[in-house]
Amino acid sequence: MTAADRERRFLENAAIAAAGTHAVSGTGELLATLRRVVTADSPVYCPGVTELEKATAALFPVRAADYGAAAVTVEEVFGGVAETGTLVCSSEGGRAVQAGLLPSHHVAIVRRERIFDTLDDLFAAVAGAPPTNLTLVTGPSRTADIELTLAIGVHGPEKLDIILV
Amino acid sequence: MTHEQTSLAFRENTVRALEDSALRAAMKQAADTFGTKRADAFAPVADLEALRDRASAIREDVLANLPMYVDRFVASATRAGAVVHRANDAATAREIIRKILADRGAHRIVKGKSMVSEEVDLNSHLEAAGMEVVETDLGEYIIQMEGETPSHIIVPAIHKNRRQVGRLFADRLGVPYTEDPQALTKIARKALREKFLSADAGVSGANFAAADTGSLVLVTNEGNGRMVTTVPPLHVAILSIEKMLPSLADLPAFLRLLPRSATGQTITSYVSVITGPRKAGDATGAKELHIVLLDNGRTEILAGESRDILKCIRCGACMNVCPVYRAVGGHAYGWTYPGPMGIVLTTLLTGMKKSHPLVDASTLCGACVEVCPVRVPLAELILGLRQRKVREGFSDPKEMRGMALFGKAAASPTLFALGQRLAGAFWPVVRALGGKDVAGRMPAPSKTSLRRRLP
Repeated sequence: MTAADRERRFLENAAIAAAGTHAVSGTGELLATLRRVVTADSPVYCPGVTELEKATAALFPVRAADYGAAAVTVEEVFGGVAETGTLVCSSEGGRAVQAGLLPSHHVAIVRRERIFDTLDDLFAAVAGAPPTNLTLVTGPSRTADIELTLAIGVHGPEKLDIILV
Repeated sequence: MTHEQTSLAFRENTVRALEDSALRAAMKQAADTFGTKRADAFAPVADLEALRDRASAIREDVLANLPMYVDRFVASATRAGAVVHRANDAATAREIIRKILADRGAHRIVKGKSMVSEEVDLNSHLEAAGMEVVETDLGEYIIQMEGETPSHIIVPAIHKNRRQVGRLFADRLGVPYTEDPQALTKIARKALREKFLSADAGVSGANFAAADTGSLVLVTNEGNGRMVTTVPPLHVAILSIEKMLPSLADLPAFLRLLPRSATGQTITSYVSVITGPRKAGDATGAKELHIVLLDNGRTEILAGESRDILKCIRCGACMNVCPVYRAVGGHAYGWTYPGPMGIVLTTLLTGMKKSHPLVDASTLCGACVEVCPVRVPLAELILGLRQRKVREGFSDPKEMRGMALFGKAAASPTLFALGQRLAGAFWPVVRALGGKDVAGRMPAPSKTSLRRRLP
């Protein structure tokens, strides 16, 4: 699969799963997109650990002390899977995977080079020494427990945005 | 609430189910939706049959080497920091879990959806010990509020319509009546969020367990499974021994098959892979992780002629296509697991004596075999159990005598031909005696036998 194919499939499949998808190049575009996507949600939780997370610091003057009190979490995640449009969140490096679970809006930044073609490629890469928690996230939280009618935002985020950098 | 098994009353249960028009409407709608969604989800899968073969072969390998994989899992999970407990039966599993929770002073328990916990009737045991047990899967939350059991292994409240849920929430939660599923979902979100954040412990099941890494895999949609396993300080997982996969690298095949077969999704919203509790430097994970591996008769099943049922990955596709399940719903089966896989598992786990009417609850049409993602030969297994039922003397004596007589006649061409002629002559009598029953509604036999009409 070429890099362009991989990227296209990842974004297409994520959109089918009802995620908002954005592809940007460079920090300038990332910040512009974040400004558009995050809008009224406040306060924001951002771990501020990776380079890309640090770059967003100026954008959110009001920051939640922890994810439990946040309306939105903005974070860079471990990677993605093109086959299913899935985000991969890992507890590696002291990351709180539940930060993308509790707030009602999750904005995930993922680097292009971190997209795996298939689930097999992902698990081949992590199966040797998996982290304490590896969570595959595909679209927002959902249920069909009442009359098999789709409802969005049960216990996890009602809104998921993916920004591919 | 303790739920007694009512499988022996299957016939009575089905009569009641068929008279319940709300149930029949819900089941019909569900069946249609499931059928379409599943077909759509599998349409783009290029080599589905090869994928099913692979998954089936992995499950067969697991069963062929189950004790080895379980030992390997115990060793890996222990190395990852989890405490693994082995429970031979339901009572032991319940007691292990109660003790873990009680020893840590846990009072409020949030639960993720787990059919194995239903199998061992965990909730009533914990409640009897004074604990508050909150089911957090929306469907489970609804039926817990109603004091019911799941009627489907994937969609527990499938038998209820939106108006029933709306009235239930209005009555029990004091919220204004609404029948909008999205609004009802929001109400549950709000009520349960508070429970998650104040819970002392989370109890979950697991869809798979990877023997090589000691990881638990949870395949979910709502996010409650993630909450239960990461928010409270203590996580207790209960799973049955056959949930093993040799390696975490085997997971993708099952992630491709399970959600598509279960709900017609390409993949669920969430797949959690949990390897041990929170370690130094981690910001995620319960501080303590206990894993309870339940046998409850499975080792015995493994040694018997019905062992293939243990390949099952609990997708529910077999019940969605079963003409019996679709007509009567899950409660009629009278125990934890309904539908074709439920017939087999219930009979094996609870014994023929408590469940023999179930083995006749199939037309043997084979629709379940056609959809099973891991090729469990359900029709063959049900047929095998019917033979066992006869062998063990659980059949209706009248039926036995009739069948013995027919067997003799069918083996002799002369007797058979005589029987055919007599049947024609006696038909008005049969019809009169049959009345409203099946015998009274059968078409009259043809005047000329098939044998004579054939060239």
